[in-house]
Amino acid sequence: MQNPWLYMLLGFVDTALLYLFKIFFMYRLFIVLFFGIILTSCDSDVDAGEFVVGSDNLSLNNKVILIDTATVEVSTINFDSLVTSGQSRILLGNYDDPIFGKVSSDSYFQLSSSSYNLQTTSSDTEGANYVFDSIRMVLLPDKYYYGDTTKVQSISIHRLLQKVKPNSEDDNFYNNSNLNYDAVSLGSASFTPKRLRQDSVFVKMDNVFGDALFQKLKKREIVTTDEFVEYFKGLVIKSTSANTSAVLGFGTTSLLQLYYSKKVTDSKTSILKEFTIDDISKQFNRISLDRTGTIIKDLPGTTGRLSSNLTENKSFIQSGTGLACRIDFPSIKELKYITEKGAIVDAQLLIRPVNNTYSKSYPLADSLNVYVADQLNRLSGTLNSASGSPIYAVLNKAQDEFDENIGYSIPLGTFMQNEMVKKTDSKSALILTIPNISKGVNRLVLGNQKNTGNKVKLKIYYISY
Amino acid sequence: MKNTITIISFLIFVSFSSYSQSLSSSPYSIYGLGSLYESDFGSIPAIGSSGVALPSTRFINSLNPASLGFMYKNHFMFDVGGNVIQTSYQDVSRKENRNNVQFSHIAFAFPVTAKSAVSLALKPYSSAGFKISDYKLPIQDSNEEYTLSATGTGGLNNFDISYGHRLGKKLALGLSTSILFGNTKDSREYVISNSVTTIDKESSYNGVRLNLGGQYLIDSTFTIGANLKSPSRINATKVQSVLTYNADLEASNTIESDVHSDTDDYYLPFEFSVGFNKQFKNNLSLSMDYERSLWEDSKQADLYGSYLNQDKFKMGFSYRKDKNIRSYFDRVQFSTGLNYDTGFLEIDNKRITNKAISIGVSLPIENTFSTLNISYSYGQRGRISNGLIKENYHKLSVNLSLDGIWFVKRKID
Repeated sequence: MQNPWLYMLLGFVDTALLYLFKIFFMYRLFIVLFFGIILTSCDSDVDAGEFVVGSDNLSLNNKVILIDTATVEVSTINFDSLVTSGQSRILLGNYDDPIFGKVSSDSYFQLSSSSYNLQTTSSDTEGANYVFDSIRMVLLPDKYYYGDTTKVQSISIHRLLQKVKPNSEDDNFYNNSNLNYDAVSLGSASFTPKRLRQDSVFVKMDNVFGDALFQKLKKREIVTTDEFVEYFKGLVIKSTSANTSAVLGFGTTSLLQLYYSKKVTDSKTSILKEFTIDDISKQFNRISLDRTGTIIKDLPGTTGRLSSNLTENKSFIQSGTGLACRIDFPSIKELKYITEKGAIVDAQLLIRPVNNTYSKSYPLADSLNVYVADQLNRLSGTLNSASGSPIYAVLNKAQDEFDENIGYSIPLGTFMQNEMVKKTDSKSALILTIPNISKGVNRLVLGNQKNTGNKVKLKIYYISY
Repeated sequence: MKNTITIISFLIFVSFSSYSQSLSSSPYSIYGLGSLYESDFGSIPAIGSSGVALPSTRFINSLNPASLGFMYKNHFMFDVGGNVIQTSYQDVSRKENRNNVQFSHIAFAFPVTAKSAVSLALKPYSSAGFKISDYKLPIQDSNEEYTLSATGTGGLNNFDISYGHRLGKKLALGLSTSILFGNTKDSREYVISNSVTTIDKESSYNGVRLNLGGQYLIDSTFTIGANLKSPSRINATKVQSVLTYNADLEASNTIESDVHSDTDDYYLPFEFSVGFNKQFKNNLSLSMDYERSLWEDSKQADLYGSYLNQDKFKMGFSYRKDKNIRSYFDRVQFSTGLNYDTGFLEIDNKRITNKAISIGVSLPIENTFSTLNISYSYGQRGRISNGLIKENYHKLSVNLSLDGIWFVKRKID
């Protein structure tokens, strides 16, 4: 054990203890004071962080960059078939849109009743005394309208020659579905829609048709719905007037009313039999658009797209007819190379409606649906927040209607980051539609990056790390 | 004996708790590896931190390893110290006081032969403590702003192993190896548009540096000294996590999580200091040092900021009555000093200089060279102007320099 290091250490500890001991007794007051100060000082050290130097250096480690020059490609696509059955709306009317072309909507439906017995009570045995009075269609407005409602609307009702039964493999009818109907009108009406925001529309129908139906019931040749539908397959209501300029919505509670009475004495009791749209999947609207002569006449099929560069730097959305706006970000992957390592922390797309394409008659939708799609316009779903709720493009309601800041903004932070870091070459696009795509004819014209005055604007906030 | 153990435990506890807190939190610490510490061994803080020409006779002189060559035979020394600092931070519109406590050093030295000695010392090298709350900065290429909040903690430590050797009666040379190690944590929160991004970075550093020192006694009252510090590369690695949250999309996105990577190494510059110590009438002593750090020649990465060459001027007087007088009070040493440091930072074309005055007393303990050193300094760092801050500080340094005569008589059976 002749290790000098150990001796040294022992000597050191020995002496240190001795001196500390002595010091403590010589200066105990001072030492207690000193460590007292130390301990209390520890508590009083509060840094509120209000003093900052070297802001240039602070922004050096992690650069925060705003990119507003990334390319945004805007185009118009055409979904050729939208499901319009089961939408709970009878959409009627037509208008000649200066931009989109001629829009029209006819509505097809099947009617039925809860009972095909004319007797009002079970003890009523005087069926032979019933006589037909009249038949009419009652259309109940559901307050949807689009276009100029000051003009007279004319409609015409026709009897279907085939059952309301889908041709397709699924059970749906589409905006381009079609059924044969009798060219002879069973009834027609003309009205000025503005008043009908409260009032129902009554269309008197052909008495020959009404009486024939009445006789079938009276003779009890029709007692079940199947027999009824076999005889009376349904109706189509067509918009006939050439110069109307609005499309209107009516509820599927609209109904056919058959009036008859019991002729016993001179006094006449009027009785009502009602036929309703019992199954809303047996009601659909055929919505068509004649684009001849418009700038979107060359719209390709479902999987194609028409660049806004070819359509006056505009893109087009129209409900009912299937026009939608497609937005591509072709250069998004290149943002990876701005810095060695970087992330998109936030992004906002502001897409603006083109001035003078909207008005009181053609109002802007408050929000747009946003879908994510592949190169062939196949939707993978809505653009969602992390919690799974859909993200909408929300209209900034600027006070001035012609404010250039009016537009739809979409938060795209996560979408952009995911697109940027995506390993595969595939790129996703966004597709914008108006929420009432299947049951309205609202439309919207949006500007692209070259549109003067209504440019689409993409802001990407990027941080290097 | 029980009492002694209690006291020792208490001292150790206090040292380590204040060490671990690493409380220096200067706003200037965002640069590089943080604010650098001065050595506060013995009575050095009282004489303007000068002393490159002072011998390690009464305390361990960490400024020059050559000083160990003059250490007395059969003595060993122990030095421990700490600081209490009150700083007032002031900018154009605000003023705020903060107190903090710093561990300064723990060291001991012992002779190897009659002409040489070794010392070991642990001391903090830098403190990267700072805090920034809700600070607005412009987003590049736009007229928008983002908000930054940040905290920095940690710093580097320095462990020195020094050896000094005396050649003849007048010349001593010394070599010291400094091992630098430690880590800094930097947590930043960026509020950009509708998103919050947090970047947590823990950087680890390690490196070695060599010091070469010399001291020469021109005569019994006049000593000159010099010390050279080699340039050195401090290896740096980091572990980083990046997380973003987007309020519009309620989306949290982990961009990276605990990713290890290499980061820019930190470069220590070539530094040299020269100085002298002159005694007048056997009781007044003047010490003057000049030190220069050639930061501009180091290949410092932008990450750490751009540095300028740094000059330090240090001067101090110490006074003690004649040694032979028996009165305790007459053996007390009084010191005063000045320190001027040009700093190595230039922010907005303005240098961050540091100037301080100091006074101190060294209270001898019994009839040995052991002393309790207490010094006070008042200093200013930086200045008030747009984007800069002035720090006025009051620093109380206390350290114990214990000297023991080492008799190698003890035997262990």
